[in-house]
Amino acid sequence: MSLLDVSDLSVRYEPKSHRPLDAVQHVSFSIEAGEFVGLIGESGSGKTTLGTALLRLLQRPGRISAGSITFDGTDITHLHEDELRDLRWRDISTVFQSSMNALNPVTRVEAQFRDVIEQHSRLRGEAVTTRIRELFDMVIIDHRFISAYPHELSGGMRQRVNLALALALEPKFVLLDEPTTGLDVVVQHSILENVRRLQAEQGFAVLFISHDIGTVLDLSDRILVMYAGRIVEEQPAAALLRDPLHPYSKGLLGSYGDPRAETVRITYVPGRPPDLSLEIRGCSFAPRCPERIARCTEVDPPLLPMAAGRAACHVAQLQRDEGGAGEHGEPKRTFDGPQFVKTAEESTQALRGDVVLTVDHVSKVFTRRRGLTVQHTEAVTDASFVLRKGEVTALVGQSGSGKSTLARMITGVDSPTTGRIVFHGPNGDQEVAGFRGRSLRDYRSNVQMVFQDPYSSINPAKRLGYVLARPLANYHGLKGDALRDRVEELLETVALTPADRFVNRYGYELSGGQRQRVVIAKALAVEPDIIVADEPISSLDVSIRAEILELLGGLVQTKDVGILYITHDLLSARMLADEVIVLNNGRIVEQGQTLAVIRSPQDAYTRTLIEAIPNPF
Amino acid sequence: MTTTPAKDFMAEGDSAQALTLEQVSDAGRPDRWWEVVWSSRKARVGVVIVSVYVIVAVFAPLVAPHDPLDSTFTPLAGASGDNWLGTTTDGRDIASQLIYGSRISLLVGLFGGLLATIISLVIGMVSGYAEGTIVDDILSFVTNVALVIPALPLIITLVAYSEVRGVWLIVFVIAITSWAGGARAKRAQIITLRNRDFVTAAKFSGESTTRIIFREIMPNMSSLVAAAFVGAATGAIGAEAGLAVLGLGDSQSVSWGTMLYQANAQGAITQGLWLWVFVPGLVLAILITGMSFINFGVDLLSNPHLREDA
Repeated sequence: MSLLDVSDLSVRYEPKSHRPLDAVQHVSFSIEAGEFVGLIGESGSGKTTLGTALLRLLQRPGRISAGSITFDGTDITHLHEDELRDLRWRDISTVFQSSMNALNPVTRVEAQFRDVIEQHSRLRGEAVTTRIRELFDMVIIDHRFISAYPHELSGGMRQRVNLALALALEPKFVLLDEPTTGLDVVVQHSILENVRRLQAEQGFAVLFISHDIGTVLDLSDRILVMYAGRIVEEQPAAALLRDPLHPYSKGLLGSYGDPRAETVRITYVPGRPPDLSLEIRGCSFAPRCPERIARCTEVDPPLLPMAAGRAACHVAQLQRDEGGAGEHGEPKRTFDGPQFVKTAEESTQALRGDVVLTVDHVSKVFTRRRGLTVQHTEAVTDASFVLRKGEVTALVGQSGSGKSTLARMITGVDSPTTGRIVFHGPNGDQEVAGFRGRSLRDYRSNVQMVFQDPYSSINPAKRLGYVLARPLANYHGLKGDALRDRVEELLETVALTPADRFVNRYGYELSGGQRQRVVIAKALAVEPDIIVADEPISSLDVSIRAEILELLGGLVQTKDVGILYITHDLLSARMLADEVIVLNNGRIVEQGQTLAVIRSPQDAYTRTLIEAIPNPF
Repeated sequence: MTTTPAKDFMAEGDSAQALTLEQVSDAGRPDRWWEVVWSSRKARVGVVIVSVYVIVAVFAPLVAPHDPLDSTFTPLAGASGDNWLGTTTDGRDIASQLIYGSRISLLVGLFGGLLATIISLVIGMVSGYAEGTIVDDILSFVTNVALVIPALPLIITLVAYSEVRGVWLIVFVIAITSWAGGARAKRAQIITLRNRDFVTAAKFSGESTTRIIFREIMPNMSSLVAAAFVGAATGAIGAEAGLAVLGLGDSQSVSWGTMLYQANAQGAITQGLWLWVFVPGLVLAILITGMSFINFGVDLLSNPHLREDA
């Protein structure tokens, strides 16, 4: 008997004013004691709903509509809340996605640990304090933070505290729901190392939910792939990497490449998951599937034992039945979708473009007055570099390294304390810090921005046509038909075709990738010389990141625009950038051609960043 | 850089065509605002009540049996087929006064609420958007002063000293004494919205500050504005009636407040003329209840979590 047995579980959302939808459909799997199981899928695939259902934390209008969850021999599907309370945290605990909200902001960390420990164990007083110290040692946090409030901890520390809290009572099962989303790669890497070590030492079972197949493959023994509310593949991690069965798994695997290679290819899965409130005929992945055959659009593939695990795919099944010799050919390892290729040679050429912006010995000091003392924080120290037309420059560093401050100075939001930023525009050389009011507005027709979060950078109350028309009306004075034609042209440029289907849409009707493309179209509208892209892919699913990289890469070629690409992830910098600038604590520690920097990093910090890239291969 | 956006599988045949088409969901479309308001039972009751009042007010000349100022009836008559609710001490028809009175109340409610909302919008939005600057300091100071000044004595003074005492004066006085709370709420709301990326994006599109505030940000808080309007209108109706009861109303027209004032002045209660006192108060109370009910529905607009319980 397994530790956790889920059989035929379905979760149904029945909102009052919408069509009901089955977010989780007939899911069956089990987790053995001490096993590390990964659950991957893109946003909207139902993985968080499944996790919530396992914890019995579903809220109206969601409910478990069928199936059962058996934990350690007890059926907890319909267990009463009072009995659940004994089980929760002592046997089943969890680390939620947002480290910000999971800790009570008005209570000291110690009290939150004490609460949990005293509720579920006989430890009191000094014994509890000792246990808390042990737990802090486990997650490698200094003891002085025990009496801190959550806001005094950094994001990474907070998530470690959550992890320690989850392990406080030595549970048998821990659910990790994207515990590192929103943290930068270095922190993510160290937290996951921590999880892996603790799991090996203490032997609790884990269900690790993530959209990032790289981290999941790194950690898990066995992997469940979820798509449109169903498990479409289940295999041991090594087998999944060697021989993925479902085309969707192949698509997810394709989002990783080796940054050190001369030529890097990454693929992405175009389109978006189906609307689960509508009836789906055939395989739910068929519309996005490059291996689709006629049968896929007719018959829903069942989850059958295959290779080292289970998969729900007609093609994979036929290929294996025929032994690779029949009409469906050999099983493929790769996803035949659109791909994005970057070669080393292109970068060499890009470094010959005209310089459009010079950052010359720039420093930025923030002063903060607190009572009688004045605090100086140096966010950027003596930074110098240039941006060229037709070139992508990546600014790489952890959060707090000063990369956003640099971006703010380049876009004219802040001005440098010392040093100069000079824009070599059509009106000769101008210092950016001197722009105010009218001239700042004019400067921004040359410098545009792409934001991190595509969900908040499109006005939810406006149609896309309006969003894209505004910069054109303001800077180019376009009106009427000319304006409409140009808007449609922009939508076509970012591959939102046919354009007339998108003009009257609202931002929230699009997927994250589509939204980010609209934001890029808006930045392109005024034909700027420089686009500052502030982590444009970090809030998108790993599986669709290449889509945005490909678009940005193509624009540099065709529009001769210079891109300043700000990121904490060296892999994406490798895919897009010709030159890379590594920033640590406000100081440029390394600068050079991307491939050269990645292959032979000179600085210790650059090496840390490179090591933090999840590398499943 | 070589990009291969479409491999061969995408180019072949009809079924592959569907793949290259960008898929857009329609499930994410939120409900229309009237659907949301109507989905609440309380709001439905409120809408029906207020609609009845509006219809009666608009068609008052058709609905009312007599001219409200016609004093040719027998004074102090009881309820009868001719005078549905009896007559006053000076021989006017109470039912007709009541029906015509709804016009004043709704007029003051509509325009008083509208004016107060507009003032609070302009002051609250501008000061919130300019948070931390001298503009915000000045506007916040004005708002705070307006909040702490006792409204009723101010209204009484303003009305008592003004030369004309028409409906529009009442509307104006009510509006300028009741906008402050709304301005505060809108200032708080815009502070949460103004740091969103779409506002920065609008700056990069070269939008003017006025346009950013009123065209980009305001549509995102329309439910708050609507709720504030309904609240302000409710308050204005109550304030108008209150003023009229105190004898500060428009003496040329009939409203529920002036009816109560007359009734009180003529000692209606001591004479046992219950209908005269009771009925204007009752219709006023029902109207205000109806408007409060509508606000339950408007609340659902700004807080989708409430929709499941409605």
